[in-house]
Amino acid sequence: MLYSYLKIAFRNLGKYKGFSAINILGLAVGMASAILIFLWISHEISYDRFHEKKDRIYEAWNKGSFNGKLSCWNTTPKILAKALQSDIPEIETTTRVNWTDSYLTKFGEKTIMMKASVVDSTFLQVFSFPVLKGDSASALMNPTGTVITLSTAQKLFGNENPIGKILELNEQYQLTVTAVVQDPPNNSRFQFECLVPWSFLRSQGGDDDYWGNNSTRTYALLKPGTNAETANAKLVEFRKKYDRDDPKGGFFLYPIERWRLYSNFTEGVEEGGMIEYIRIFSIVGAIILLIACINFMNLSTAKSEKRAKEVGIRKVIGAMRHNLMGQFLGESILIAFLAGLLAIVLVQLTLPSFNTFTGKIVRLDYTNAWAWTLWFGFILLTGLIAGSYPAFFLSGFQPTKVLKGAFKKTQAAINPRKVLVVLQFTFAIVLIICTLVINKQINHARNRNNGYNKDQLVYYFMTGTTEKNYTLIKNELLSSGTAVSVTKTSAPLTEGWSNTWGINWKGKQENDRTLFDRFCADQQFVTTAGLELVKGRDFDLETHPSDSTAILLNESAVAAMGFKDPIGQTLQDNGRDWTVVGVIKDFILHSPFAKTQPMFIQGAKGWFNVIHFRLNAANSVSENLKKAASIFKKFNPSYPFDYTFVDEAYGAKFEEEKKMGSLAALFAGLTIFISCMGLFGLATYMAATRFKEIGIRKVLGASVASITTLLSKDFLTLVLLSFLIASPLAWLLMNQWLESYAYKTAIDGWIFLVTGVVSMLIAVLTTSIQAIKAALSNPVKSLKSE
Amino acid sequence: MIKISQLEKIYRTEEVETVALNKLSLEVKEGEFVAIMGPSGCGKSTLLNILGLLDDPDAGSFVFNGIEVAGFNERKRADLRKRNIGFVFQSFNLIDELTVYENVELPLIYTGVKPAERKKIVEDVLDKMVIMHRRNHYPQQLSGGQQQRVAVARAVVNNPKLILADEPTGNLDSSNGNEVMQLLTDLNEQGTTIIMVTHSEHDARYSHRIIRMLDGQTVMENIMV
Repeated sequence: MLYSYLKIAFRNLGKYKGFSAINILGLAVGMASAILIFLWISHEISYDRFHEKKDRIYEAWNKGSFNGKLSCWNTTPKILAKALQSDIPEIETTTRVNWTDSYLTKFGEKTIMMKASVVDSTFLQVFSFPVLKGDSASALMNPTGTVITLSTAQKLFGNENPIGKILELNEQYQLTVTAVVQDPPNNSRFQFECLVPWSFLRSQGGDDDYWGNNSTRTYALLKPGTNAETANAKLVEFRKKYDRDDPKGGFFLYPIERWRLYSNFTEGVEEGGMIEYIRIFSIVGAIILLIACINFMNLSTAKSEKRAKEVGIRKVIGAMRHNLMGQFLGESILIAFLAGLLAIVLVQLTLPSFNTFTGKIVRLDYTNAWAWTLWFGFILLTGLIAGSYPAFFLSGFQPTKVLKGAFKKTQAAINPRKVLVVLQFTFAIVLIICTLVINKQINHARNRNNGYNKDQLVYYFMTGTTEKNYTLIKNELLSSGTAVSVTKTSAPLTEGWSNTWGINWKGKQENDRTLFDRFCADQQFVTTAGLELVKGRDFDLETHPSDSTAILLNESAVAAMGFKDPIGQTLQDNGRDWTVVGVIKDFILHSPFAKTQPMFIQGAKGWFNVIHFRLNAANSVSENLKKAASIFKKFNPSYPFDYTFVDEAYGAKFEEEKKMGSLAALFAGLTIFISCMGLFGLATYMAATRFKEIGIRKVLGASVASITTLLSKDFLTLVLLSFLIASPLAWLLMNQWLESYAYKTAIDGWIFLVTGVVSMLIAVLTTSIQAIKAALSNPVKSLKSE
Repeated sequence: MIKISQLEKIYRTEEVETVALNKLSLEVKEGEFVAIMGPSGCGKSTLLNILGLLDDPDAGSFVFNGIEVAGFNERKRADLRKRNIGFVFQSFNLIDELTVYENVELPLIYTGVKPAERKKIVEDVLDKMVIMHRRNHYPQQLSGGQQQRVAVARAVVNNPKLILADEPTGNLDSSNGNEVMQLLTDLNEQGTTIIMVTHSEHDARYSHRIIRMLDGQTVMENIMV
């Protein structure tokens, strides 16, 4: 029986080649999209799950309230680890991981930049990064030891044994390789090329016992059989003991499986994160697959008149309804199988660009039996979904009717086929509107005045001897005509690295916990950045030597502090008095989609990491960069001239939204593509079934235009209906999405107008080819066939 | 074999009600060859559909082989049908996607006959119908007469007790028509009961008895000698 089903399925595929191609290609595209989304999701879900002790690993989180808002974040005081270990009995051990830094690393003639993380000696006991050479227990004990990854070892030492080799870091420190570990996998939160022991940091004076300095990440490994809730309950008392001034604040342990997917908190309550994207894309993947399945359903049932006779005969000679349902489901599973094969080819072809786009390394594992099982299950499921309705529909034909030719196609105002087309186009139109709104939002934020002049502005991290030679570098950049203005700052203009509520001023309310962005800059900051000065002046140490403790405020800070006349006011921060010399207009330090925060900029007594300089517009950019490179090489010879254009860094702030926009566009395109294939199939079928009607109309004098309109009208009505359903839906969705942005665009009417016109146009183009072809045919031919 | 009494079938649409069978009674004995004649719309086809267990009467009794089948559900009807009844249609009704051999084999698949046995039976029947040389052809590659021979082969392959023929020669020229009528006569002589709907007096003469119908009722019976 199965053989007979397969045989007839294959013959049907061959007989209706066009329909089969549309069916298989449509399903394959849908399946390929679903597979890609599935690969991405499984990669996201697999994050940090490879650690053997994953059930016991937690990250310590901080909680604090700022002006009535409860915030959670995962940087902690460096002292926390030690206190946790001694006070919370459930904790077996703790380990800290500091920010990853790039180090200039030399071994013999070889020099590389190496990404290093400073970690506690327990790091390799808590996290599973397999040690290939050396001893994991002692590898990070010694302050002059270091652990490197396999690929770094190969880069530096080739095939030689790395253990005991001495590396020179930043031309200052000598560290001995104590162990080699496997490179961290792509789905690891920790990405490093080298691990430096915490004791090294301490020996360099980088450790502190200050509870107010939230500057590192702290991880805890619980004892087997203990409960994180019990530990968390104890952390309430723990906070009081260490005397924190915020009654709502505190610490809590956050489990490893929620790091990647959640980690978003609103008012102290976990509220989504990556999981939201996973949900959205799961839904989108399912929708695209469903749309492809709908094509299959529509084309199969449209073809039903051709199959009706077969159904009748089979029933007359003894087929039961379940036999026929089995046959039709078998056919759809066969088509799904062929589509599944094609989908694998499509996925393989698009995977490289997909990986570039998502920044992941996802691949198809052909040796994984589990993956094949899933693939077969997926095909079966797709085949069943796609085939269910046709099987139900076709197997229900009455032989007495179909064999007498009394079978009539349904002319009802609402039939399932029409409903399915409307469903498809509703999805497509929602996605088009979303794409347009997302892009409009991006453009809206892009056109927002960022508060400074990004043009020709470059920054360079002060590596090696840059800080020591800062004045020389600055003078040479200016005297050579490379730059017109130079300043140094604590962080790039596009990034906020520090904030505080611990600043004091005259008139500050006792319970005021306004969070201020903290920034430091040298003289000529306002000039170099092109900021707008509202009151007072820029830093100027030459005219005002006391400007080393001067401070600039932005307008939001002036408002937050309640100053009527800010110039000359004194602020206290980090045990020092700072005098306000100027007020600037707010500029965008963080997200261009968010409100600007109160901010202060401390003068030369601050700390500095970055040089900003504005290139001389009189020269070409390449000429300027060439000169700048030689100047930096001269004063910081060991390091490469790694510079960043501020406008590029600023542009990167739109990356996430841009990706979302591109994804929405991609999915909209795919949905439209698949839907149009289905529409084309239906139009072809319709033109064929109305062949005779067209002939009669032409004989009676109908024009080509009127026939084309007649044939296209039905489909256009459906698309119009889809548009009417999709528009409010998309509006609701996008309104909700925009809610999360403080600086947001409006959802204008033109978006709907454009979408409506475009979708109608697409539908017209898809159906009219067939309609015109039918209208142009010779009526003699169609009427003779009777 | 067949005993029908007071059979009624009414077709209803929103506007009209058509009485297709009006308290019709009829008996057919095993081994008989009966022809049913009458003008279009007299209820011949409805009767044949009910006799073939393709349709259910609205009222009355239908005893088939001693079993009351009026009111049987689709499943039960199909089961009884595939074991006992063969059909021959005016328009042959072969499946275009299957070869001659596969078309004839199909009823055996549905009754669950094992593949090896199927092969033997099908080849036997094709031989009898002199169509063996065309076994791998598709229906559209055959003449009308050949197609109807295949249809007859398919109707008899399950060795049914009853064959229902709906204008079996309607689409054939006279020589092919006679050939098909001879086939049916031969089957009848071998013991198969045959009920045939026809417009052709010539074909009706092959039968033992002609039943004439009008407005859903039998109006006359001619016994052939």
